Amino acid sequence: MTKSKPLPSLIAVIDIGTHKTVGLVGQIIDGKARMLSFSERRTEGVVKGTVVDLEKLHNCVHEAVNDLERVAQRGIEEVYLTIAGPSVAGERVKGFVAVPAHDGKVTARDFNEAMLSAKRLEPPAGRATILYMRQPTMLDGKSVENPVGLQGKRLEVNFWRVTMEEGNVRFRVNMINAMSIHVRDFILASHAAACALISEAEKQGGVLVVDFGAGTTDWILYFKGHILCAGSIPVGGEHLTNDLSVALRISRDTAEDLKVRFGSALHRETDANQTIWKDGDKGVGDQQFNRGTITQVAALRFQETLEFVRKDVLHQLEQIFPGHAVKLDQNFLPSGAILTGGTANLADAAEASTNVLGLPTRVGIPQFEKEAYRKPEYAGVIGMMKAAIEDAPPPVRRPQGTLAWLKDMFRF
Amino acid sequence: MEPNRAILLVGLGGAGCSIVARLAPSLPAEVKVALIDTDASALAQANGRETLQLGRAQTRGMGTGGEVAVGAAAAESEEPQLRRLFTGYALVVLVTGLGGGTGSGAAAFLATVATDAGATVLAYATIPFSHEGERRKRQASEALDKLGAKAHGLVAVQNDLLLLQVSKDAPLSESFAAADEWVGGALRALAGTFVPGALVPADPAAVRSILATPGSPTLFTYGCGQGTGAALAAARAANECPLAHAPGATTKAASLFVAVTGGPTLSATEAFEAVAAVRMRFGGETSTLLCARVVPDFGDRVEVAVLGASTPAPKPVKKGKGAKPGEENQQIFGFATEDSMRRGLFGGTPLTFIDGQDVDVPTYIRRAVRLPASP
Repeated sequence: MTKSKPLPSLIAVIDIGTHKTVGLVGQIIDGKARMLSFSERRTEGVVKGTVVDLEKLHNCVHEAVNDLERVAQRGIEEVYLTIAGPSVAGERVKGFVAVPAHDGKVTARDFNEAMLSAKRLEPPAGRATILYMRQPTMLDGKSVENPVGLQGKRLEVNFWRVTMEEGNVRFRVNMINAMSIHVRDFILASHAAACALISEAEKQGGVLVVDFGAGTTDWILYFKGHILCAGSIPVGGEHLTNDLSVALRISRDTAEDLKVRFGSALHRETDANQTIWKDGDKGVGDQQFNRGTITQVAALRFQETLEFVRKDVLHQLEQIFPGHAVKLDQNFLPSGAILTGGTANLADAAEASTNVLGLPTRVGIPQFEKEAYRKPEYAGVIGMMKAAIEDAPPPVRRPQGTLAWLKDMFRF
Repeated sequence: MEPNRAILLVGLGGAGCSIVARLAPSLPAEVKVALIDTDASALAQANGRETLQLGRAQTRGMGTGGEVAVGAAAAESEEPQLRRLFTGYALVVLVTGLGGGTGSGAAAFLATVATDAGATVLAYATIPFSHEGERRKRQASEALDKLGAKAHGLVAVQNDLLLLQVSKDAPLSESFAAADEWVGGALRALAGTFVPGALVPADPAAVRSILATPGSPTLFTYGCGQGTGAALAAARAANECPLAHAPGATTKAASLFVAVTGGPTLSATEAFEAVAAVRMRFGGETSTLLCARVVPDFGDRVEVAVLGASTPAPKPVKKGKGAKPGEENQQIFGFATEDSMRRGLFGGTPLTFIDGQDVDVPTYIRRAVRLPASP
């Protein structure tokens, strides 16, 4: 019997954000990814990246899964989830091994031993390890790509370990398992977004990706091709909306609408000369506002948040390179910064970010076949799909029940 | 008044004495301890601390046999000695187990004597386990009413509640140890305010003024946190502390006293964060007193103790049989406060601090930026 062609397996990814829950189902056919279904729903029960109402969130994710399955006309068996927000933390873990002296060459076994010793370090109590990401491997203090076969004495393996509060992880897994779906893996949201936006060359050079979402602003820094550090600020686009609603004494929805239409990341003196109408029809209930107020409030919050990001990045860099006054500039990160997430849609976002971060910033728009999805807010889910495809090929699994399996055969 | 005679911790009755005897070794030296009981054998655990045996004439050194009347008479006969004991203290913390004879009978009388002697009285009473029978329960609830009217502050904790806090098969001693930890921690923090040398000192007289009126609904809770974000963790733990959920404890108090105790690394920012979190949960609209203290051997541990009281609500009208149970616990309809206005849509969500600022408050408000005038 010839080698049978594997069944095309589904790859499902879900990005649960503070504002939106976005899901994507794809399939790899003849080595090419094809999108089967897409779902986008308003997230309920999450505030500032923290789950506050389990039941509401559960219902919302359930609906999203239903959407995805209905359009894809297939059942989802496993899913990748993003994690982000204040309960996620990253840290660097190290493993050492002394290379046996008889020939001084690193063997695969030494390498393995070093990796295991790094992973043996227990995460802090109450936290669960979500993932490990490789960082530069050092042989006698020099960074090497693959140490096996090289001469050396001391091999050091580094990982970026991402941990999350245990309860939070369990809740997510349980929520998905309750729909008879298996959680295949967790992906750091900012890393997922970065996958859709930056090239390997940019990663090699060094780049900061800032995902300015609705509830949180997550950042991740790549240096020499690896994740160097990542962080999260519990401030997002919702805060811009909130500030506007407090400043103008208007409802949340009106504030959101005004933010999208008139908001800006930069405040210009001339904005104060403009008067804008809430609805534009000048009818009953329509209200006049000074555009300067809107841009002032939005710009202050936007710039302050990026200032928090800058401080957080510098703070973490200080811990990684103690004693070196690392500056956030183009010498350190030649590829600058990339701003993504829903709030990156704000007018002048790139310019304001360039000013605050001190790095040339561009707005990251995911390259996707369908034009409708080429928006910063979809970078996370699209990048996750990309990362999921690059992940080890999903195992071929027979759908439950013979009929379902046959159906699959025929469709193919 | 000598400053070191600021707090007197009194154990009354069998249960009260054993709680106090367990707590005493962990308390700072500024807290004086006294054991009071009718039963001479209960006083034997005093280890050289001050003791007072009640009702030598009535019981001849035995217990009261659970008779409230005997306990009350025993206390009344020793009034001069009690008065001498209480004189000179700013604060008397009266710890007693209600349901028996001595505690139920004498507690209210002791509170009266101490008040007359010029002390502020904070009473901590335990209510018997539900399986201890109707009689003890009735005695306890009657004594609690009387004590509540006399003491400036009253914290009543049901023993049943304590059992729920530890795992099912934990030994009895463990559930009592947990209760001791909360009461002891809160007392330690309270005592600290009477010791000079605090980072942010509080005036003991002001602390007393919180419990100015007898019979006010009282809040007394304690939490402890460790490591990064210890202050906030402690504030959270104070919220989860069973003392805060004791029957009769208020969920919101108009006046709060918050004592934050930490190691040398405790920063003012952290302390204020904890206070903000406590205020968010427990109120403190009228006044909030803060005391922050650094104790070198605390390391990265932070303790938060909260004492609060509101002016007593008007006596509820006795309800007929048709009244729904639990009605008195219903939430009071509230108006928007300045705080909820500033935080807007995030009002009521947990506070988020970055660099010591509540980042949910709009940036333009925090930076006091004047906005262009509306057209």
